Amino acid sequence: MSEAENLVVGANGVAVPHFEHSGEGYRSYEVHQRERVGQSTEKINGAQLASADYAANPYPYLQILRENYPCYRDWINNCYWVTGYDDVTSIFTDEANFETRPKLWYYGLQGFGRDLRNEMPVLWAWSKAMDGFAVPVAEQLIAGFGKGEADLARDFAVQYPIVLLGRMLEIPDDELGTFAVRYWRAQRGVLWYPQAQLAGRQALDELVRYFTPKLAAASDQETSVLAAVAAVGGSAADLVTTLLEADHQTLHGALANLWMNLLIEPVNFDHVKQDHMAMKIAYLETLRHSPPVITAERFARHEVERFGRLIPEGGLMRISALAANRDPRIFADGDRFDVDRRDICHREARGQYRADGLPQGIAFGLGRPSRHPAVPEDRPRSLYALTRDTAVAASWTLAQMLPDLRLRDGTTPVARCLRIGETYACWELPVRF
Amino acid sequence: MDALRDFTAELDTDIHSDDPGGDRDFPLMPVGQAVDMGQAPDGTPLLDPRVLHSREFFRNPYPYYRIMRDHYPCFHDKLHNTYYVTRYEDVWRCYFDDEGFNTIPKGSSSGVLGNTQLELSGVEHRRRRNLYGQHLVGRSLDLRVPSIQRLARQMIDDWDDMLDSGYVFDDGRKRIVELGMAFANEFPVRVVCEVLGFPNEARKQFFYWYNSMMSGLGGSALQKQGLEARQSLEDYVQEIVEERRRKPSYLKDEDGNVIGKDIITKLCETRVDGDYLSTEEITSNIALVVAAGGETTRGAIVNMWYLLLQHPEQFAAVCADTENWNRAFHETLRNSSPIGGQPRHNSHDLEMHGVHVPAGSLMQMVDFSANHDDRVFKDPEKFDIFRPDLYSGKLLRSGYSKEGRCSHMAFGVGPHLCPGAWISHQEAVEGSRILQQRLKNVRIVEDRMAKDIDGKSLAPIGIVRVPALWLEFDRP
Ligand code: HEM
Repeated sequence: MSEAENLVVGANGVAVPHFEHSGEGYRSYEVHQRERVGQSTEKINGAQLASADYAANPYPYLQILRENYPCYRDWINNCYWVTGYDDVTSIFTDEANFETRPKLWYYGLQGFGRDLRNEMPVLWAWSKAMDGFAVPVAEQLIAGFGKGEADLARDFAVQYPIVLLGRMLEIPDDELGTFAVRYWRAQRGVLWYPQAQLAGRQALDELVRYFTPKLAAASDQETSVLAAVAAVGGSAADLVTTLLEADHQTLHGALANLWMNLLIEPVNFDHVKQDHMAMKIAYLETLRHSPPVITAERFARHEVERFGRLIPEGGLMRISALAANRDPRIFADGDRFDVDRRDICHREARGQYRADGLPQGIAFGLGRPSRHPAVPEDRPRSLYALTRDTAVAASWTLAQMLPDLRLRDGTTPVARCLRIGETYACWELPVRF
Repeated sequence: MDALRDFTAELDTDIHSDDPGGDRDFPLMPVGQAVDMGQAPDGTPLLDPRVLHSREFFRNPYPYYRIMRDHYPCFHDKLHNTYYVTRYEDVWRCYFDDEGFNTIPKGSSSGVLGNTQLELSGVEHRRRRNLYGQHLVGRSLDLRVPSIQRLARQMIDDWDDMLDSGYVFDDGRKRIVELGMAFANEFPVRVVCEVLGFPNEARKQFFYWYNSMMSGLGGSALQKQGLEARQSLEDYVQEIVEERRRKPSYLKDEDGNVIGKDIITKLCETRVDGDYLSTEEITSNIALVVAAGGETTRGAIVNMWYLLLQHPEQFAAVCADTENWNRAFHETLRNSSPIGGQPRHNSHDLEMHGVHVPAGSLMQMVDFSANHDDRVFKDPEKFDIFRPDLYSGKLLRSGYSKEGRCSHMAFGVGPHLCPGAWISHQEAVEGSRILQQRLKNVRIVEDRMAKDIDGKSLAPIGIVRVPALWLEFDRP
């Protein structure tokens, strides 16, 4: 229906939209729970869960939730918090009842473009390009460090995924800076901050304009992501949508937090620089100990009962990887970064969050565990595996090129969110070598 | 990397920003002006959702609602997962459509008040809506007006015995009272207590239940006390209910003539779907009437006096013709209602003013904003009991909008229209008429009142209700 037909002129001469609903019935919430005296939740309130202190260090708040209120009804932020490991994974793997809303939805831009991550040719080109550039990009960034010192968070971890994408998308060096700014803004515009929304919205349009001619002129190389996008009939808006939905947070945050964890206790770094496998375990332990995406949002597709609560249709579940990954029922001494941890699985989990009977550190942003074989023949490996291998390759390169890396004296790096809801990462990691 | 200079510069700013989110200290602005939160290139003001939880907003909400009405009539606050509906017409239409916009368990009221009609929609709501409604309107209310007047007189008479309470004292030829503690807090609760049919001796206890339940609402830190009070009320009500199930009790007028059964007796006799109401459900109904009828009416009375005394010519007009109290009551509710709005959930996916709202989203209907919509009320921030665009007759479920007059939205409209609208009107107006006769040469004791940011003028009401109103008048 057109905008004009959809308007009704109200009694005061004001035009208002006419709301069409299907009339297929509805349900009032006759059957909702009464909270009893023993169920009061005075140990925490919603405002604390959206506070500056929470952004700086969410862990103490999440611990209160996990240890007291398995499904906390937060009236301030209008959501349900789920924080126990098994509860979190049960929601995360339950696509029948809980939906993920794409980043485009948060922008209010349904229909802007198509996410091409289901298109096999795009996935193939993507993974080949990523594998091909993983080490050269790391080498290039490291070569550009200042003399004897650098900030690993800013000069390496944040830049790495963006430069890598730049290479994968055949962006020339002199355009890389502009691309980086636009990409960064587009990602930050997803959330609630109005200036960021505006800048992000603008960046999306600029990216579409930028990629339109590139896509038309795409080569036909097998590893060219642009060519693959063109081959499946994707437009520049589709490409930009795919970039928006694709995860860079995990790669960035995992690198930043991995190096933070390795350098805070130099024995950890000594341990991993000898042994490629140890670097991989350290990466897995980082995803567990300090996951870059600390909470994810899932919406109830329909009324559903969980954890003894009736969750109404549309109810927002805020599920926390950070809280779950330190659940003492699952991981011994969970607050400790244990570079050689034995109670997490070292293989990629399949389908559920466990492999070899051991739990995996939950990492949002990479999708739920893939059901496909670890090394499939007919498709590239999972995003989880691809991100892991890239992060480990980049970190290994760094460790081999600068084996005497150490924190600059007097610094104590921490992880935090720049803004509520954003990546939980170490943003300042000054080092000497 | 060198090519990324611009990017790292932007990143550094972000890293060193001192605003990670969370509560922000927004500056306190002159009333009517919004904090500058930035603009889009086309000049549209931006709205930081955190402002909606700030101190600034609580005292000075209207410029922010205006930004919403004019630029984001369906505002999606992604931080708090809420959509705000702010235009009069939209709020009105959504209230009417209780199928499309259903009511939900509201805040922690689900624990503190229990399951009530507030949370029901459609036929389930209609079956319970009229259980005791007739007590709050029409002839049985008219017959009770003298009792309401008696309660008001009694409370004022009691002031002589409250001279050491801290809320009433004499200063030379003047008497000073805090209208809330001395009158408005308890008066509506006493009225409600009577209509419900609570024994007189339960009154003090009743006030405790009321206070604790009220402060335990809405996910507050005092929820536990609220839940305890609710439990204690339920334990007490249980006995009364058992008694009334055996032996009904009646409301009488001042001369002892029976008006009808009291509300609790009514509830005991009521069947819904063939079943008698459980004690639990009866308690919830009682809790609802108490909660819905106390603080609200208190706010209306105190706000009304605060506003009138700041507009002496309008106060003179109500003294000259006490019919004008009706106008003052409605204009107070329009200008500064004690209730901000009501939550609804949309039952179906919808598109409102270009915003896609998935089914089941929380859509906050902002009565405050509807009441200040200048598409309906001219110069809305102005308090004017004689404004020509406000209807101030008896409230109708369908709302009122005729001949250039519209009803305010403070009681809602549609199926959930406040059933207490008429009784609260009587309490506020009758109570005020009696106060007006007794308080000779009344004025606000400015020294004792909260001030605005200039340190001189009286604090605006905003969306918080006047916490305390100190009055002085000639000693009786
Ligand atoms: C100035 C005073 C009052 C104001 C501003 C007020 C406001 C409101 C509003 C806005 C609603 C609608 C809720 C919704 O749409 O979901 C409501 C409902 C209600 N009010 Fe009041 N109210 C006042 C006084 C009273 C009094 C004195 C009583 C009882 C003696 C009362 C009893 C109720 C009840 C039982 C409901 C629920 C109706 C339903 O959901 O069907 N209110 N009130």
